[in-house]
Order: sequence, then structure tokens, then C-alpha cells
Amino acid sequence: MQNPALSIQGVSKFYKLYDRELDRVREIITGKPRFRKIEALKPISLEVGKGEVLGVIGQNGAGKSTLLKVLARTLQPSSGEITVNGRIAALLELGTSFHPEMTGHENIYLSCAIQGLDRKEIDAIYDEIVAFADIGEFIHRPVKTYSSGMFVRLAFSIATQIDPDILIIDEALSVGDGAFSRKSFDRIMDFKNAGKTILFCSHSMYQVEALCDRVVWLSAGEIRKVGKPVEVITEYSEMISLAAPREESLATSVVKEASEKKDAHDKGVKSIPAIENVEVSVDGKVAKVHSLISGESNLEIRVRFRLGEGVPMPSVAVAISGGDGRILSSAGSFHDGVSLSVDATGKGVADIVFPKLSLLRGNYYLDIALLCEKGIHLYESIRRAAELHVDQKGLERGIVMLPHEWKV
Amino acid sequence: MNFVLGYSRNILQGLLTPYGSVLKHWGLYRMLVKRDILNRTSGTVLGKLWPVVQPGLQVLGYWFLFDIVFAMRANRGPDYLEYLLTGMLPWLCVAEVLNRATLMFREFSPLYRRNPFPLEILPLLIMTIPCLVYGAVYFLLCLVIGGPASALASLVVLPMLMLWLLPVCMLLPVLGLFIRDFAQIVPFLVMITMFMTPILYFPAMLPEGVRLFIWINPFSDLMAVIHGLVQGTDYSWINIARPFLVWLLLLGPAWLIFRRSIPHIREVL
Repeated sequence: MQNPALSIQGVSKFYKLYDRELDRVREIITGKPRFRKIEALKPISLEVGKGEVLGVIGQNGAGKSTLLKVLARTLQPSSGEITVNGRIAALLELGTSFHPEMTGHENIYLSCAIQGLDRKEIDAIYDEIVAFADIGEFIHRPVKTYSSGMFVRLAFSIATQIDPDILIIDEALSVGDGAFSRKSFDRIMDFKNAGKTILFCSHSMYQVEALCDRVVWLSAGEIRKVGKPVEVITEYSEMISLAAPREESLATSVVKEASEKKDAHDKGVKSIPAIENVEVSVDGKVAKVHSLISGESNLEIRVRFRLGEGVPMPSVAVAISGGDGRILSSAGSFHDGVSLSVDATGKGVADIVFPKLSLLRGNYYLDIALLCEKGIHLYESIRRAAELHVDQKGLERGIVMLPHEWKV
Repeated sequence: MNFVLGYSRNILQGLLTPYGSVLKHWGLYRMLVKRDILNRTSGTVLGKLWPVVQPGLQVLGYWFLFDIVFAMRANRGPDYLEYLLTGMLPWLCVAEVLNRATLMFREFSPLYRRNPFPLEILPLLIMTIPCLVYGAVYFLLCLVIGGPASALASLVVLPMLMLWLLPVCMLLPVLGLFIRDFAQIVPFLVMITMFMTPILYFPAMLPEGVRLFIWINPFSDLMAVIHGLVQGTDYSWINIARPFLVWLLLLGPAWLIFRRSIPHIREVL
């Protein structure tokens, strides 16, 4: 790769474990090693091109966070060389350099100075930081008086306004609540559209596949596979299914986020799209728990939603999952090329029908999600919006009856 | 030969790197000094007056104890109270720096653990506020008791002491972080050192048998130099050479240990 944005050559990281802290002091003084190694990252080499969005996936303990911290220079690698062409910003732990007694204004200067910006550079971006954070007069008050939402707004604004060439994102594609969540998501998308390099570490395979140009799969501190998202994610998902069927899936990650978004709605935030109501009916009968006959019953889902102020038309997605939380099938209006619409009051309805549902005997659950116009950013989701108890007439085994025909 | 070269290199780096880093990160340094002032004054009624009031109260306390209660008087030489204050204020500054140095890495961990932070500026940073605060009070005091020449000379005293403390401020934070007992013992050691240094008493007041303690204590030499500069008392080149030698011997290893401990510091808490 010619002139990569980021080049990692033989970078490893091991943590040192000492039987006694005194051994650490002895080692520092004498220079003789007295530790036991805990290898977090085995020597890896990788290049990330300019403008590339690289996904980093792997199970907990695979070395993802260590890699990101090494790249963000908050950890020193144990070996190897990292070459960075440009400025790095990391959305790892926002606002850690804030001092509670200092005002937002002063914390902007402090945080930017820690990131290596001089006074002139900070002056140049100061107004943009303040405008993006949009916390009004609070900018001149001590940070200790901020709500958690205001705190994260300012921190995110600082982290992204320093105009990094490389952005490191750990898990969250958006921060804050309500309209700011969407605003921060747009900001990250702006980075992608502006051709900035992004390293995106996530457990959400859906988001990784939607965003990334290439994916690296880390396993036990090593690169297990690098390649196109669809190839790497498919193999990774298979491994996850075999190794730990209850590993967090898209459905569970959606649920986590959803509870946070729900809080925002409960507080009366009207500026972002929201689900107003979900009706699930089987053969015309609306209920929360349904009994179905495989291959005969028609499943209909009606999602009523509200469009927020000044945001594009959202999309709706439906997922059917098994009892273990694993998604068995999903459908989304964005990916199906369906455009939703709203009436004059800003309210809309999305209907989806699964005719002659071909799931075989078992218990299933419906998850509903309201997403951004591109089906990436989650506004709200409802987990287990309905429960489906499917029975069947035959003795077929499995989860689904695929359409088929016999030729004799 | 290699040892001497390596040692010299470490001394040079130990001196130049912290100061160079402060210059390089001047904006950050200024903000951290401001943060430090806020830490001391926020939420208090007297606010920004406290940094000046606090050393003033300490001086008042020592004056009351030794001048009024013990009624200590000098047989010859400078007035006892002037002598006491001339030595005590710089010592209070030293004591504050030493006590803070022990806990330095714990205090600043939120900054360096999650950010690419230049750790080498910290030893100088923890000296800055005490140096400024005690420096201002010391200047005024010397102006009152010794006149303009004495006040002018006082401006050298605290920067000189802080420069001498640089290797100590590299070693203490490392030891304080990895050996927690240090945080308990350092205040005691600081107090004992004060008693072993001619601050509360004239050197001549000490019995012959314990003068060795003064001789092996570099702070005694520094005090002699301070009194010489501010009060015009006698001091010899030995009083300069001895602490300078100790400083030279300490700075190289202190820098080496500080540098070696940086990867540990980021991971240990």
C-alpha cells in the first residue's frame, strides 16, 4: 500500500504481571526483567489506507481495545513500529481530561492542549466546538454543573472538531441523547464522506458491515482474518455461533441501545424520530402473544412512528429471533428499497407482511427498530414486541421450511 | 568510559527533557497551572487569597512558637526571627513539593491514562504553584526585613531550590506509586529533615556530637547559601559544591528511573 494513513509493523503488547510490586521497582532500577507476561496483542502488521474505514471485530479479550489504545498512544507498544500520517483522534473515553472546577471554555483549551494543539489552533476551532456542543451559556460555567448529556456533548465536540485525519471509534457510532445522538452520528458519517480514515471497533456486525471497507478479525491477540466485510463477518459469525450460541448478537446490542433511547423519549424529546405504537396481528387478530400454524398463518406488523424535526425520513426494520436471542431473519425498509412517508402531523405508518410464515415449530420473538434513513443509526427499538408460538402439521425438523418442490 | 558517557547523557537529558517539554507544551502547561490554582481555591471563601494566606499563617505559627513562647534569641549575627523566617519559608515550599511529589502520579492519572500526555512535565508542574506562591510571600518578607537588595536576592532562592529538587521529584513519584508505604513515610522524613537542617536554630546552637547530621545533610548547605544570599551571612564554596555534587549524582539515575518507569506508570493503576 502506497502512503498509508496508518502503518503497523510487528506491533505487540504484553502486560507485565509481578508477584510483588517491589519486583517492579527492582526491574525499573536494575533494568533486569522480573515479570510474567500477559500477552494482549501478539506481533501484528497492518496497513490502513487513506480514506479507508477499517472494522475491528473479535470477541471480548481478543485484543481490540489494546490495539486501539496503542494506536491512540495511551498505551506504549511492547514492540514494533507505528507510523501515522496525520492527526489521530480517539472516541474511546470521552471527557477524561475535563476538570470539574474549570468552565467548559477552559476545558476546551485544556483538552485541546493535551491533544497537542497550540493556542492559535485552538482559537481557530473554538467557535465550531462551542456551536456543535450547543450547550448555550453553560460553556462559561464549571463542568461540574453540567448534566451527563452536556458533558458528553462538549467532549464529543472537542474530540471531533480537532479535525483528525484518523478517527478511532470504540463501539458507539453516536453519543448523547435525543437530537445530539443523530447529530454526532452525522458528524461521524461526515468524516467517512470526507475521505477520512476511520478505525471502527464494534460488536455490532450489522454496523461494521454497513460502514466498513475492510474488516480485521482479532482472536487471542492475533489477526485471524483480514478482508472484505462480508467474508470476514460471515466466518466470524459462524465461529461465534459454534463457540457460544448466546454471544451478543445484533438483537441484544439493539436492545441495549434502545433502553437508552427510550429514556430520551420518556423525557419528552420530540426532535428525533420515535416509535409511537406497534401492532402485531396474525390472520387479522391483534395480540401480544400469537399461536401460528407453519406455512398457513399470515403475520402482519404495523409500526406507527413519528418523524422528528429536521431529520430525514427514517426506516423501519423487523427482526425475528429465537429464544436464544439469535436473529433468524430480518427485513428493513431501507434495504428493501421502500420509502416511508408521514402525514401533515409528522406521523407515519409502516406495514410489513410475512405471508404464510414458514417458520417451523418453536417459540420466536419479534424485535422492531426505527433507524436512520440509511438503516445504520438506531433511534429506538422495541425488544420482544410480540411472541410467536408456531406449531406445524407435519414432522419436519429445523427452523424454517424453505420453498421447495419435488420432481419425480 | 561508556559508563561515564551514559551517565553524562542521562544528566543532560534529565535536565533538558523536562524543561524542553514544558516549552514544547507551553499552552498545556499554562492550563495545568491554572487547573492547579483552581484545585486549591475553588469552593473556599477566601478563594485566590488562600495560596498567600496559608504560608503567612504557617509563618505566624512558627513566629509565635519560637519568638514568643520559647523566646529564642541569637547571641550574635542576625535577629532570630528574621533568621527563622528566611529559612522557614523556602523550607515550607520544599516540604509542600516533596509531599505532593510522592502522590504525583496518582493525582494526575486521569490525564495521562487516557490521553497522550507528556509525563515529563509533571515534576516541574508540581513545583510551579508552590514556587510562585511562596516566592511572592518570600519576596515581600525579604523586602520588609532586608530591603531591596535582600528582596532581589530572594528571587534566586526558590528557583535554585526547585532546580535542586528536580531529581528528587523524579524519584519520589515513582517510589510513591509503586511502594505505597512511601506516601506514609515521606511526611515523617520531611519533618525529620527539617529538624536536621538549621532552620529553627542557628548551626552554632547544635551540640558538637550531632553536627555530623548537619554535615551530611545537603539541605544544611542550601540553607547556608540561602541565608548568605538574603541576609549576607557567611557561606563557603563547600556549601555550593556539596549539594551540587549530590545533585549531579542523583540527576542521571533519577532520570533513568523516571524514563524506565513511564510504561509502567501508564498501566499500573
